[in-house]
Amino acid sequence: MAKLKLALYWAGACGGCDVAVLDINEKILDVANLADIVFWPIALDFKVPDVEAMKDKSIDVCLFNGCVRSSEQEHIAKLLRAKSKVMVAFGSCACFGGIPALANLANRAEIMERVYIEAPSNENPNKTLPQTKISVPEGELTLPELFENVLTLAQVVPVEYFVPGCPPTVDLILKVVNALATNSLPPVGATVASEKTLCDECDRKKEKKMISKIYRTHEIIPDPERCLLEQGLLCMGSATRGGCGVLCPKVNIPCRGCFGPPAGVSDQGAKLVSSIASIYETKDEKDIARMVEEIVDPAGTFYRFGMSNSMLKGKRPQGK
Amino acid sequence: MLKKMLAQFGIEDKRVRLDWVSASEGERFASIVNEMTEQVRALGPLSRNDGGKNG
Repeated sequence: MAKLKLALYWAGACGGCDVAVLDINEKILDVANLADIVFWPIALDFKVPDVEAMKDKSIDVCLFNGCVRSSEQEHIAKLLRAKSKVMVAFGSCACFGGIPALANLANRAEIMERVYIEAPSNENPNKTLPQTKISVPEGELTLPELFENVLTLAQVVPVEYFVPGCPPTVDLILKVVNALATNSLPPVGATVASEKTLCDECDRKKEKKMISKIYRTHEIIPDPERCLLEQGLLCMGSATRGGCGVLCPKVNIPCRGCFGPPAGVSDQGAKLVSSIASIYETKDEKDIARMVEEIVDPAGTFYRFGMSNSMLKGKRPQGK
Repeated sequence: MLKKMLAQFGIEDKRVRLDWVSASEGERFASIVNEMTEQVRALGPLSRNDGGKNG
């Protein structure tokens, strides 16, 4: 069998997804046996024009990590889509927007203002902002354009498979590699993880699902055996897809929700709000108000990884 | 909690209302629905955010 042609790309990402691929350690040699990597900016010296020169659909699989927030990222997403038979949204940013999509609570103008003018570390008396084009004696220089909001990969191009995680775990990556090796890919549109929620896979002791005070992770040292949510920590396991191996709760850290909504749920944050609100153990309005205050940043907590993919997608434009 | 979160998303407080009406309070139900409809109508359509690019 001819070797598979594999491409990996990072768009709006931190680099953790690429590192996760390297974390499969010696199995990377199996990947090298199985596939020729034809494009991987973090590790190999192929350039965009090399991809442009390829025939359409000549790449078998493209693992695309990172969100899409600039014209350059959109361009490369479309380019790789045209060249690839199978497009995989790899990691939470490509799947749901991820951490970068928290910026959807602000718009582009507010972000520019904050980053280039307001931030205390800036020295920018002329209020210079990055421009997409500028003429200098040597010619015209260009920069990609920043979009108003963060988009998921599937909001820009059609995507065959979703591999969630911040970053995807080694086991999941190997699952994908094995599926490729044995030509046993799931049906198109599938999310390569578990069909259950994280709570279903967590073996902590669940006794009484009611809470009367919410703690932030630095405020208490939780009991290592009992359900973290029952101890007042905001654990996202009830509305988060499983398949990660319950990594965070196993080390006493509540789930942050990086695997996105479970099967059958479209809006992870809305599901989390209703599940958390339904276990408040009080009918006293004062207590309820206090507990609402204890959740400092509900939008950022419940949509930590899922903002772009949610029903609201971000903050409404104001004053229109 | 929902209201606090929706405020972060830029959705006005007046667009969401939680109320309790007994099955026997038909008139109260109708008046609450009417009030709410008028209130939202006065606010006008929700500005759209298609999660999109620029503009």
